[in-house]
Amino acid sequence: MYKHQNSRSSGSFSWVFQRITGIILVVVMIGHYILMHYTPESGHTYDAVLARMQSNWYRVLDLTFVILGMYHGLNGIWGIFRDYKLKSWQTISLVGVLIVAGLAFTLWGVKTILDIPYVNTVTSTIAK
Amino acid sequence: MAEIKKFDQRSWVKTNLNYKKDTGSKAWILHRLTGIALIAYLFMHIFSVSSLAQGRAAFDNFMHHYTGPFFMALEWFLFAFVLFHSLNGVRIVLVDWADGAKYHKQLYRFSVVIGIVLFFAMGYIMFSHEIHKLFATL
Repeated sequence: MYKHQNSRSSGSFSWVFQRITGIILVVVMIGHYILMHYTPESGHTYDAVLARMQSNWYRVLDLTFVILGMYHGLNGIWGIFRDYKLKSWQTISLVGVLIVAGLAFTLWGVKTILDIPYVNTVTSTIAK
Repeated sequence: MAEIKKFDQRSWVKTNLNYKKDTGSKAWILHRLTGIALIAYLFMHIFSVSSLAQGRAAFDNFMHHYTGPFFMALEWFLFAFVLFHSLNGVRIVLVDWADGAKYHKQLYRFSVVIGIVLFFAMGYIMFSHEIHKLFATL
């Protein structure tokens, strides 16, 4: 009767997943930092980003990065609040805000990545 | 009727700060603070790169304001947050999954040393262009 009194699950999945996403993010984040700052241009000009984004591997990597980063971060925020005793309306509003803000910004990031055009200069020169 | 000592809401921060802090609790506090800073930065970052979708002029015009030594220094300090959260995160995983409770204090000290080294290594990567330019003028 008391088993699921205040929560739907034990939270063990999110605990494991927080560690798995964390390990992935450590690797990707260090790579991201080195790549973006290797030259003054590489992370801060449109041409450098456009050139990288011609590869679908970079697109997939960035999509994974934004989705996992957002999940890991917001689950972490939820974990901090879970340490304190919240009233149920506070829990509901908090989870609501985290999910809505998280989804909105994740979709915004995904849209930005997908909206960067393919310019096809390499393939067109090869075709000629 | 016996008076029940109620938890004083106003001294909540003071009570928490009065707890004895050792390696683990310091790492715990810093992990939370850096985590909050990083997720706040991620929201900002998604906003700041969103102009990429509007083409070259919009992005370069936006980025024009956020390049230069001041923002580079900020990005470098952000890397300190990334490093602490990363290295302490690895430490947490080792504590959970690799019997790390037996050596977590050594791990902490090791992470701090590695972190400082990587911080300066990243500083060199980020500012190498400026450093080379500086030495060329000397």
